[in-house]
Amino acid sequence: MTALLRYHSGLFLRSQRWLAPLLLYAALVAVGVRPGDPVLGSLGIAAAGLLPVAAWSVRICLTQEAAAARAVTAAAGGRARAHLAALLTGAGWPVLAGAVAVGAVTGTGDLAGTGGPAALLAGLLATTACALTGGAVGALVSRPFVKATGWSVAGLLLGSLLVLVTTGSPAKHAVAALVAAEGATRPPWASCAAAVLLAAVTAAVSCRAGARRE
Amino acid sequence: MSTIVGAREPVRLAGVGRRYGPRGPWVLRGVDAELPAGRLVRVAGANGTGKSTLLRLVAGVDAPAEGRITGRPARTAYVPERFPPALPFTARDYLVHLGRVQGLRTGPARARAGEWLARFGAEAYAGTPLTALSKGTAQKVAVAQALLADPELLVLDEAWTGLDPEARAELDAAVRERVAAGATALFVDHDPHRLAGEPDTTLTVGAGRVLADAPPPVPALLRSAAPVRAPSPVRIVASGDRPLPDPLPGGAAGAPLAADGAVLFHVAAAHSDDLLRALLAAAWHVHRVEPLRAGADGGRP
Repeated sequence: MTALLRYHSGLFLRSQRWLAPLLLYAALVAVGVRPGDPVLGSLGIAAAGLLPVAAWSVRICLTQEAAAARAVTAAAGGRARAHLAALLTGAGWPVLAGAVAVGAVTGTGDLAGTGGPAALLAGLLATTACALTGGAVGALVSRPFVKATGWSVAGLLLGSLLVLVTTGSPAKHAVAALVAAEGATRPPWASCAAAVLLAAVTAAVSCRAGARRE
Repeated sequence: MSTIVGAREPVRLAGVGRRYGPRGPWVLRGVDAELPAGRLVRVAGANGTGKSTLLRLVAGVDAPAEGRITGRPARTAYVPERFPPALPFTARDYLVHLGRVQGLRTGPARARAGEWLARFGAEAYAGTPLTALSKGTAQKVAVAQALLADPELLVLDEAWTGLDPEARAELDAAVRERVAAGATALFVDHDPHRLAGEPDTTLTVGAGRVLADAPPPVPALLRSAAPVRAPSPVRIVASGDRPLPDPLPGGAAGAPLAADGAVLFHVAAAHSDDLLRALLAAAWHVHRVEPLRAGADGGRP
């Protein structure tokens, strides 16, 4: 699995396809967050901004191999494992970028009413919840479910927006908890756990569907 | 035919069918086949009958829509029909990545990548980005990734297409070596003379079915000489530079023939297959195989 993750990360990083989603994320954070703002609200905005970025990144990782190259990898490493590695790579790098953003936002924000460690923990949990929810959206609007690029991109944008506003979405709950917090807040453990579950179920369905649909 | 690696389960296809999408037409259906270790299998059939689909199923690239495929070994390698090198790696980096995916550590993967590129005469392109390779060199990379990690199941979909004659011969030799070492090799090639006389089994695909699982024919090399399965001992004339295993199968000993560096082996018929396999695995060239009868022993005919 490590070898497959290195392979997909190599594809992702060397192709420079990571650049556009990263710039989008940087722009969202730069527009939404001001140094000196209350830290929890800023962390909520930064986490929300990561959601479409993670969806995009997962879509990139699922589609960056040509069909023949994908067949070679599938034979060498196992079809489902290769697909899972692409999903993990696509979701993993945004989590890393999000963690860096959480550190930066916590370092520059107004910590009044919350401690630094508590803000960090809440921010990391919300960021992970958003990245995994976004990753699930990305997986559901890419192969093997949606193959046409137009529908895929439209679904990615709409889906990302929907999971940020729909009640019941782990990302919405995590972001809302931070944005609405005045002073201290409880770390969004439940939202993060729900997002992990959602991502795991989506990954399992995506890996299984790959066998049937393509 | 006995196999050197007898412990491995054969790859078994039981009632395998494949269609694209849940309501698509069946491309293949009701395929039953057994692909044992140490077996070279040609897949024959007209264009568009499902040869590539059968290969993709066996390689594990596609999953069967019905039926089961069992016994696929961990080290499986596949060479696709066309390998588009639209990946942001150099040839060597790609091979190292694929070597690692197939279970090699980074160091050995790098060394093997160099060896296999050299074998196919593409060592000069090791540092070239895949996107800058010619079609033939890209195909050499595709073939090299499949042979890199000593696959136990090797699936070649017209892998020879686009290779130069030297590389084709090298791929022929590499496939023979893998089969001799106990791997299962499954191939499609438009050239009916590809590895002619050597396939142990031919699967003929037609009308969405695998029509015939032909019984293993006696390889032409042996058939032309004499019935080697007769109880009489066999003499084999071969030449090569690489060291041979010691002791040889059946305790055979080689006696040099003065003329051209060839070596004469006498071996019991029961061990002749194993000796041939050992010779081919060491990249020796086999000149002749013939039964050893009274009177046929003196001098070179």
